[in-house]
Amino acid sequence: MNTLALIILIFFSGATLAYLSSLISNKLPGWVALLTTMTGTVLFYMSFQNEQALSFSIIGLNLEWALDNYTILFAHIIFGLGILASLYSVQYMQNKSQQGSFYANFLLSIGSMFGIIISKDFISFFIFWEIMTWSSFLIVVWNGIGFRKNGIWYMAMSAIGAYAMLTAIVLINSEIGTYSLQAFFNAVQENAIDNLMLVSILLLIGFAVKAALMPLHIWAPRAYSNTPASYTSVFSGALSKMGVFGMGLVLIRVFRFSGLQDNFDYALVSQFTSHVLAWLGGITAAIATLYALVQKDAKKLLAYSSIAQLGYIVIGLAIGTKLAVMSALFLAIMHAVFKGALFMAVGAVERQVGTTDMTKISGLIRRMPWTFFVTLVSIIALAGVPPLSGFVGKWMLYEALITNGNFFLVVVVFFSSTAAFLYSYRILFGLFLGQEEDDTAHVKEAPATMVIPMVILALFLIVTGTYPGIVFEPIAHGMEYLGFTDVTWNMTVLSNVWGDSVNLQYVSTTIGVAFMLALIFLTFKGRKGTRGVSTKDISTSGEIPLEHENLTFQLDFFKPFERAAAPLYKRSITKIYEDVANGLEALFDFTRKIYTGNGQTYAIYVVAFLVTLLIVVQNML
Amino acid sequence: MEGIGLKILGALLTTIMAFAVGMTYGGITRKLTARVQNRVGPTIWQNFIDLVKLQSKKTNIYHGVMGHFAPMWIITAAMTVLMFIPVLHPNSTWYSTWFPNLTFHGDLIFLLYMMVFGSLGMALGAGQTGNPNSAIGVTRGLSQMVGFEIPFVLALVALMVQYKTTSIQDIMAIQDQSGVWMMFSNPFSFLAALFASLGMFRYSPFDIVGAPAELASGPVSEFGGKYLGVMMTGGSIFAFIKLTLYVDLFMGGAYSIPELLIKTFALYMVPVFYGWVSPRYRTEQAIRYFWGWPTALGILGVIIAVW
Repeated sequence: MNTLALIILIFFSGATLAYLSSLISNKLPGWVALLTTMTGTVLFYMSFQNEQALSFSIIGLNLEWALDNYTILFAHIIFGLGILASLYSVQYMQNKSQQGSFYANFLLSIGSMFGIIISKDFISFFIFWEIMTWSSFLIVVWNGIGFRKNGIWYMAMSAIGAYAMLTAIVLINSEIGTYSLQAFFNAVQENAIDNLMLVSILLLIGFAVKAALMPLHIWAPRAYSNTPASYTSVFSGALSKMGVFGMGLVLIRVFRFSGLQDNFDYALVSQFTSHVLAWLGGITAAIATLYALVQKDAKKLLAYSSIAQLGYIVIGLAIGTKLAVMSALFLAIMHAVFKGALFMAVGAVERQVGTTDMTKISGLIRRMPWTFFVTLVSIIALAGVPPLSGFVGKWMLYEALITNGNFFLVVVVFFSSTAAFLYSYRILFGLFLGQEEDDTAHVKEAPATMVIPMVILALFLIVTGTYPGIVFEPIAHGMEYLGFTDVTWNMTVLSNVWGDSVNLQYVSTTIGVAFMLALIFLTFKGRKGTRGVSTKDISTSGEIPLEHENLTFQLDFFKPFERAAAPLYKRSITKIYEDVANGLEALFDFTRKIYTGNGQTYAIYVVAFLVTLLIVVQNML
Repeated sequence: MEGIGLKILGALLTTIMAFAVGMTYGGITRKLTARVQNRVGPTIWQNFIDLVKLQSKKTNIYHGVMGHFAPMWIITAAMTVLMFIPVLHPNSTWYSTWFPNLTFHGDLIFLLYMMVFGSLGMALGAGQTGNPNSAIGVTRGLSQMVGFEIPFVLALVALMVQYKTTSIQDIMAIQDQSGVWMMFSNPFSFLAALFASLGMFRYSPFDIVGAPAELASGPVSEFGGKYLGVMMTGGSIFAFIKLTLYVDLFMGGAYSIPELLIKTFALYMVPVFYGWVSPRYRTEQAIRYFWGWPTALGILGVIIAVW
């Protein structure tokens, strides 16, 4: 049997099995899910280097599935994160009820994501896309909390995206008479599609919803923060990348390498669209960052930060130069890694302490040192500080923007990534630093099966910070599929088109040596006289706080910044949507006054119409 | 192998010089400030005396592992950045005979990020001490940083876009060829960067981060002894680095140590002088200040550079 079909089958039957097993015991589904993802992952990695393709037809529709280099790049994200998340999930979900439906949907969404990327025809693409949307929707509303608030926004936005995509697919089919992706790309090359721009924009809308691009992002903070952490890491890490996957195809394969750049009108529109998207990405990044830093809940903070990070990725894809696309794909992978790790870490805190509200907890560093380590590493990568891999992506993005002449966009990006330091510090301080509380004195580190996946992700960030070439290789192959030729990369040296470069090995060596020297000096000098004291043993203007007093500063953390940036906080997209909805409701109310459902009213309308008609006709005669 | 040894020696020499210059400038500033305020003031070597005192303390306390690490992060960042900035002009004889250090050809974007490394470590260390004043100071410092980074980045973007390079050495070479310093050829960008430097050095009116009377020195309030000593060392090196970066970018770099000292000292006096005549800003006022005229100048600089 074909491996691709087998993997899909394993995930879908695993989902059924997970649900059925929950009827026997609530503990079983977690293990079933782990076993399923392991089998699927092993099967994929055993066979992904071979050429794989499958085509069959159902009710007269030709479906094609195949692996290519671009697909493999995203498959790494899905399977890498999927297997770690399902390992993490076993203990994380331990004491929760209704695990059957959770794991069924968990497996369905991983399977359908793989289905999306291997689909080479629009029909299976769309079907898998909808399975992904529905399974993630069911997990968003899984805990039954805030169904209206969280679920409906997600469903409404996904519906908008799905309809846009469906319209595009129907349009394409009406023009070229087939659903094949390859036929579509060929038709684009031959300029055989009349309303290509409309089709592309509709497709982009569909993908932008999943990539949480402004103004279609409003579902994301609610949906991300309302799912169990083991799924959120997949949701934010991998599922949002499906939007990136699609955008890459449209923006690069269709816009950039369509061979239609000589066509003036077409070039103008496609460049305009790309620019609008790049700026939307920039604005998304800036605004989402501003909202992230005022959050009190760690999970919500990460949710907003995910939106911001996806903004950078969209910028890279929209700019579309070699370096920009490379940075976008690199950031996509790194975002999956560090955001996956961060959601897991926050999930560990949630499981051990019972809340992720940063105003309620503080000083967990001594209680949960491994979780802190993972959070610290991931945050450094997220903030883009060298020598971790986040810096590599940021550097490439900046250089791509500067060398391409997008100098104001680069300032917007810089603003949002500097402001990102604020929320980075917020989450580290909020959860782990500050004074230790008596309430959390009993808290222990999360179990090993939860810590190990997080630590693996953190180590990956450290290694790729010095040797990003490990990740550049699959990216370069993926970019060649998109249409770039001779994509060059180096194991440790980053360089731009102007010939400037940064040697990461020098950076990490210097940092390592300097750090070791300082460490030895500070640890061994006067070692006998050096002692650690509790966080309560401080001097505040000569006063010593009592044992039960907690002086940790948590409320209104960045109030001065909020005051300074107040105009930027004034408008909210959610409010605009709600205003539109209210306006529509008023319109419908008015319509209801006409269509009362009362037969007599309708009779009056008919009579009135006839009378009017009579008068008009008479006057005209 | 011998070459490497010489380079490491040069790197050490550079670090020591950076440290000595930074500390002395701090001492001179203390003295000058005192004279302006009609006090006698300490000697200009006071910073060295303080450092010796701090390092010879018999007891030291820390509040946890991040508190222990914070000074290391600062000094690590300072030394790393120093290795990526050409302290002297690479063509000068002083450079080849005295300071053949490990210059790795700094890239501006890299330096921008590397310079944050130390602040982040400091912030984490301060956070773990459990002193509320420290955390408050850190939030103010980070917020203020978002303020002054905008004009600073605008200034750098103008240079990078106009001369199509992100390397400091190239920018120095361009000034060599044209014979005109960037501060004259790109005056608006220079002004924007100069305004940003006011925030970087945290003298009045931007000293709310460690406001002594209000926050008990803010982030550093729980550090003492060898920890504070190392922080001071790192801070001094950083002061020198910022000045050298400005000299390299806008004043054509320096061919000899005296030249470097004159240029850096002149630059250093700008935030000091500005501080003498300014009262303290609140954080939001400081941010608004940087997002006002300095940013406008920066944008103007970029527009002219592209023109």
